[in-house]
Amino acid sequence: MAYLFQPDYVRYVCSCGSLKPISKMYFCRHCLKIRCGYCVCHEADSHYCPNCMENLPSAEVRLKKNKCSNCFDCPCCFQTLCTRAGQAPLRPPASSADAKQDVKATPKKVYYLSCSLCRWTSRDAGIPDQYVATGGWPEQENPNSTRISTLIDFHKVLASKEKQEQQRKKFPTKRTFLQYEKFGLTSAMVRKRAGKPLEPKSLIQHSDQPAPAVANEEVDDLPAGIFTEAVDITKITTLEQRLQHPDVQAEKINELRPQHKQFLVKRSQRCRGCEHNVSKPEYSPQSIKFKIQLAAFYHVPEIRIVTCEPLRVGVASELLLKICNPTQHQTQISLLPLDTPTTPTTVTASGEEQELKRENIQMGSESPNLLPLAVRQISVTEDPKPITVVSGAEIALPECPLFLPPRDDAAEYDETNDASHFQDDKKVVVWRKGNKIVVRLHVTPFANEQNKGEPVIVGFVLRHGYVNTLATLEHKAPQKSELNVQLFLTLGNLVGTA
Amino acid sequence: MSISAPVNRRSNLKIAAGAVVCEESILKGDITIGARTVIHPKASIVAEAGPIIIGEGNIIEEMATIVNRLPPNIVDSATPALQIIGNYNVFEADCTCEASKVGDNNILENKAFVTRDVELTNGCVIGAACSLIEPEIVPENTIVFGSQCHRREMNDKPYPQIGQLEYLMRVLPSYHHLRKANIKVKSDPAT
Ligand SMILES: [Zn+2]
Ligand SMILES: [Zn+2]
Ligand SMILES: [Zn+2]
Ligand SMILES: [Zn+2]
Repeated sequence: MAYLFQPDYVRYVCSCGSLKPISKMYFCRHCLKIRCGYCVCHEADSHYCPNCMENLPSAEVRLKKNKCSNCFDCPCCFQTLCTRAGQAPLRPPASSADAKQDVKATPKKVYYLSCSLCRWTSRDAGIPDQYVATGGWPEQENPNSTRISTLIDFHKVLASKEKQEQQRKKFPTKRTFLQYEKFGLTSAMVRKRAGKPLEPKSLIQHSDQPAPAVANEEVDDLPAGIFTEAVDITKITTLEQRLQHPDVQAEKINELRPQHKQFLVKRSQRCRGCEHNVSKPEYSPQSIKFKIQLAAFYHVPEIRIVTCEPLRVGVASELLLKICNPTQHQTQISLLPLDTPTTPTTVTASGEEQELKRENIQMGSESPNLLPLAVRQISVTEDPKPITVVSGAEIALPECPLFLPPRDDAAEYDETNDASHFQDDKKVVVWRKGNKIVVRLHVTPFANEQNKGEPVIVGFVLRHGYVNTLATLEHKAPQKSELNVQLFLTLGNLVGTA
Repeated sequence: MSISAPVNRRSNLKIAAGAVVCEESILKGDITIGARTVIHPKASIVAEAGPIIIGEGNIIEEMATIVNRLPPNIVDSATPALQIIGNYNVFEADCTCEASKVGDNNILENKAFVTRDVELTNGCVIGAACSLIEPEIVPENTIVFGSQCHRREMNDKPYPQIGQLEYLMRVLPSYHHLRKANIKVKSDPAT
């Protein structure tokens, strides 16, 4: 998502340890953690052609090699080709006078492919014009297709053998070793102990095995004129053009052929911790809406830098931050030093503060992943990456908590000043409107020899109240909790020393 | 060829009968415009270093600039340099052409730039936002395209935009004041 305030001056620390702007993050409402593209499971929901919006089931997509059969890309500049209608070519092949006569007699409508950017046409490649608007274009044969299909067939044989073996292992037939299993020994271990080889591998029949690739030192000689003839760069393909079509890799421009357009996918993203979706698009390729879109932007208070005075080593500079509460609930915010533990807390019914763990988060169903186990991506739990950002300044944080009212779109147009409802410390909160406040902080950069010339970065922990409304679906009171997120602000370069 | 003679310059404008030259176009210096050439409002043609001769059937769109520019560091050239534009060229919106010689059937797409030391032959396309800044003679049917200014030789030259030309010649006079043609040329029946 392009964002108004790029480049990324304010970065949030994700649960996985990556630093990202809030616009690139998700917030899992189920385990109350920030997630980003690195720490979610990606699933391809549907395949579609970005040009004709055709939507195909995944089995058919595999058959079509992830490419649309109707749409083509320009082999020259990779834009989408469009079909142009025209009269039969103005200059028909001069070889046969009869053909010329025919064209003159019946001015038939013909179609050819044309690129609107680089003006490449299928006529450039010598592809004959078609008499129907869609389809019918000659397919380019992969020169290695026989070899590839042999290899694929062989691997299919291997796969089926492996499957058979696995099934045989499930029902062991070697009864001689079965007796040991009650002693906690598997048959494989017993074999090892007995000095026998492991289960004999079922031999692959020799006839199935494709001929191995042969290494060859002999290469064709260079053409005779390579050092004497002038190179015409306009007739030779570029590296990109060759790699766009790896099976042929045409060397000359007129050997380029239109390429079937690649399908794109709509993907949903799942939280790695609890397997709930954090993002799920609507199925239809025409729709740009989401069924689920738990962007952090809607759940975590957003911080923007308003102004920062010029930074000098050892001198306190004023830093104004705007904090915005995007939720429907009033929230309480505190800014805490960077070393504050970031474990979320909640207040129990008895009124005591306790750590929020998986067990006491009010969640919906346990695992919402409906895909069969064999297909779905196994959630990987990884320790968060260490944060390598070096703080370059001391930041004086306000001690009092800050209150932010809920978001109210109508209040945007309200001219009345409602700052008086809140007993704000005027030294800290310098402005307040609706769900937004501006706070004044002070940063004092310290002399840092290592990071000379680098922009000064400060970090702190943002603690914000969060109301878990998921529980209300189950007729429970919404759970209130306190979440902590680390933030790093890039303030700019030092302008000198005091 | 003194600079302080605007009245004189104005009279140096020669518009052939059949050309559609909008009143709001910016024309400075000694310019000859051929028949069936369409010049949109706010197109500018500046004959700074010498006369500009524009042939027939050209389309010069709004904000397009054709300049016969003085070579750098020369304030007033003793021998005026002639800039010749051939027939059926299209200068799309906001392109700049300083080329000393432009042949026939060329297209300068939007924001294309061609410097004065370049000669465009026939059927060339200078793609959107592409620049030619080195002296050269561009071979026939060359297309320059994309952000890297890739080049290719086209199989066929771009078709002359007769349909567009006829449409503009019909529509523009109904909505714009035109400059009056002041020379009568016998149209070559071959074109
Ligand atoms: Zn992450
Ligand atoms: Zn398609
Ligand atoms: Zn192209
Ligand atoms: Zn989760």
